[in-house]
Amino acid sequence: MKLQVTQENLNKALNSVARVASSRSTLPILANVLIKTDNNLLTVSATNLNIAITHSIGAKVTTKGSITVPAKLMQEFISSLPNGIINLELNGTKLKLETDKYNSIINGIISEDYPVMPSINNKNNWKISSLTLKEALSQVIFTASSDETRPILTGILFSVINNNLYLVATDSYRLAEKKVIKLDHEMNILIPASSTHDLLRILPDNDTEVLITYDENQIKFKINEIELLTRLLNGTYPDYKQLIPKQFSTSAVLKKTDLLNVVKVSSLFARENAGSIKIEVNKEDSTLSVKSIASQIGENTASAEAKINNSGEITINARYLLEALNAIPGEIVEFSFNGKLEPTIIKDPKKTDYNHIIMPLKS
Amino acid sequence: MQNDNIWQAVLGEIELSISHGNFITWFKNTCLLSNNSGVITIGVTNVFIKQQLENKFCDLIIKLLTKNGLKVKSVEFKIYNFVGNKNTDDEPIKSNQSSLKTISKQTNSNSLSHSYRQGLNEKYTFDNFIVGDGNELAFAACQAIASQPGTRYNPLFIYGGVGIGKTHLIQAVGNALVKDKNFSKVLYISTEQFVQEFVDALRFRKTADFASYYRTADVLIVDDVQFIAGKEKMQEEFFHTFNALHQANKQIIISSDKPPKDIPTLEERLRSRFAWGMSIDMQNPDFETRCAIIQTKAAEQNIELPADVVDYLSTNIQTNIRELEGALNQLLAFCEMRALDPTLSIVSSLFSSIKNRPKHLSAKQIVEKTARYFQIQLEEILGSKRDKDIVMPRQVAMYILRNELHLSFPKIAKELGRKDHTTAIHSVEKIEKEAKINMDLKKAINDITDKLYV
Repeated sequence: MKLQVTQENLNKALNSVARVASSRSTLPILANVLIKTDNNLLTVSATNLNIAITHSIGAKVTTKGSITVPAKLMQEFISSLPNGIINLELNGTKLKLETDKYNSIINGIISEDYPVMPSINNKNNWKISSLTLKEALSQVIFTASSDETRPILTGILFSVINNNLYLVATDSYRLAEKKVIKLDHEMNILIPASSTHDLLRILPDNDTEVLITYDENQIKFKINEIELLTRLLNGTYPDYKQLIPKQFSTSAVLKKTDLLNVVKVSSLFARENAGSIKIEVNKEDSTLSVKSIASQIGENTASAEAKINNSGEITINARYLLEALNAIPGEIVEFSFNGKLEPTIIKDPKKTDYNHIIMPLKS
Repeated sequence: MQNDNIWQAVLGEIELSISHGNFITWFKNTCLLSNNSGVITIGVTNVFIKQQLENKFCDLIIKLLTKNGLKVKSVEFKIYNFVGNKNTDDEPIKSNQSSLKTISKQTNSNSLSHSYRQGLNEKYTFDNFIVGDGNELAFAACQAIASQPGTRYNPLFIYGGVGIGKTHLIQAVGNALVKDKNFSKVLYISTEQFVQEFVDALRFRKTADFASYYRTADVLIVDDVQFIAGKEKMQEEFFHTFNALHQANKQIIISSDKPPKDIPTLEERLRSRFAWGMSIDMQNPDFETRCAIIQTKAAEQNIELPADVVDYLSTNIQTNIRELEGALNQLLAFCEMRALDPTLSIVSSLFSSIKNRPKHLSAKQIVEKTARYFQIQLEEILGSKRDKDIVMPRQVAMYILRNELHLSFPKIAKELGRKDHTTAIHSVEKIEKEAKINMDLKKAINDITDKLYV
């Protein structure tokens, strides 16, 4: 293998893939990145057996070939080189990297030992803009569970209902549902949330088209020259729709910043009680007040103006509420609930595309 | 069942022919799902593994399946969910209250006493218990109790490490009493179960049922009593049960992994009661006992093992009997699959990994590998910095040193450049506790330990 690439390109490619390579695996070669020529392209890939990322960059290939080298070393080395041309030459399993001033040799492992990247047979595909996908994912991803004893809940559901694509995640205490785009074919797949973290990292903040292909076991996101492939989770997602209440006895509409502030202040006093705060809405005064008591530190009551249809009170986890508020884009929020133990819902009253549900705490 | 055995045999051979890392990565959690007249389906957990097995290991798998007596037309791989769908209940969101409500609705109608069980397993008898130096005293005491329950040695408290026969012995007493004395109410219960039933009783307000059930027992056998530590209400209930039975001269037998004085947070009044009758320490079996155990177990399956095989097994597996039985079963299954006679060469190839384990590991290697795993420098882990991301690996290293090499605490402290051995004690205890609740940490420890032997 002999070729020339620019430092900028190689650095970009390594930055997108190297994070996936893990030195924590039992298989030492998984700490490496695979570097491989493909006509006039150089592909750089890495996998941790849950996810695989491949980034192709332009290169001047003299002779073809492939090798794997330690990901961390390679990334740190290339990023500290000055911009310009790098010559790569493979000699046995030694990869020689040469620029004007730097000369180095990295010992690699032959690429035949590297896991084979899965390929997708059954071609279901659709497209979405990168920015739309990124926004939708970041609105639901934090509610996915990290508890491996219930693997289903560590995934994000991509499901098409009535020609609308919904993204859903829940950890069984809260649930976020986002309606994304119109899509006219059936789909019901579960992507590991850990993989979507990597996806979020490589999705650009613009309207670049993301091409998505999937079959029953895996899904591939293609964003220009980057391909991210992840396994899917098997299993049936709980029927979450039934959990979203249709009607509420009490609801308060107020400015998001107001609610954020009072909850934030109260949460300081709620650390002792695992973040439990009590929200009271009062129809007569048109106020929503948040109360938290810490027997050691003191207590706090904060209130904000709100439009209220009915009085009521509920106890809720402050952190969950803060995270939900931060995920809602608009300036006005509607906070509704029924009884003390029924799910509460937080959303933008003008938009119906994002619902965030939180289970209250026992008070 | 047949499929499982064949697949185990295939895995056994694959393990010997490829590196440990490769084996763990690709073959852990695989299984033979079905054999449809030559079309064999193998279950794997993940699409990456599927792809790898299809491309790189297919020939090897076909070869080994054929060798194990299957006619193989083709091999298919299928993604298979090992954890199963048991956790996908229909109610993903729940508050503690509402889930509690549904549970109590289901079980309230059933009387609690349905869940009480005698719990004795008939396979444990005095006849198949092998007596050696380490357990002679315990055995004699148990026999005495079996002939005159409630009068001598009451309570009997047996303690010792895992897998050395405590459960066997105390169950044997129970079985003997049921058989010879026609005792109708011999209760054998693990402490964990005892606690669970007590909690249920509290929840459904049936504590009176619970108390009367245990207090009318003829003989009460409680296994693994160390788990009662820290559960105060439970200890109180147990204290009353204990008193009621002891007053009525009913026999009580208790087993634990430590002597009463070493069980932390055990109430003083229980501690003194446990030590009231007789406390006996059971020791690891010695070499001759281990040989005798292997021969008896093999004879139960009508197999005669050559002396050198018995010798090999009992020399190399010293820790406990459970492991010894496991190794024996593995050997017998392996030989049965191939219709071979167990010989020394087969045993040594099968268990070479066990034998080699502790030998080529040094404390230094462990510290190095732990540091590498957490991606920190060796100097850092040995140094004096107390940043969170250095302290944790350091403690993990101590924990592994303790568990893998069984080093003394002062030695561990020295290996990591600490002066004081209490640091090591604290670290090991902390990681032990933490690993029980923190899955990531547990996985990290397992990964490191796996890597040690690659």
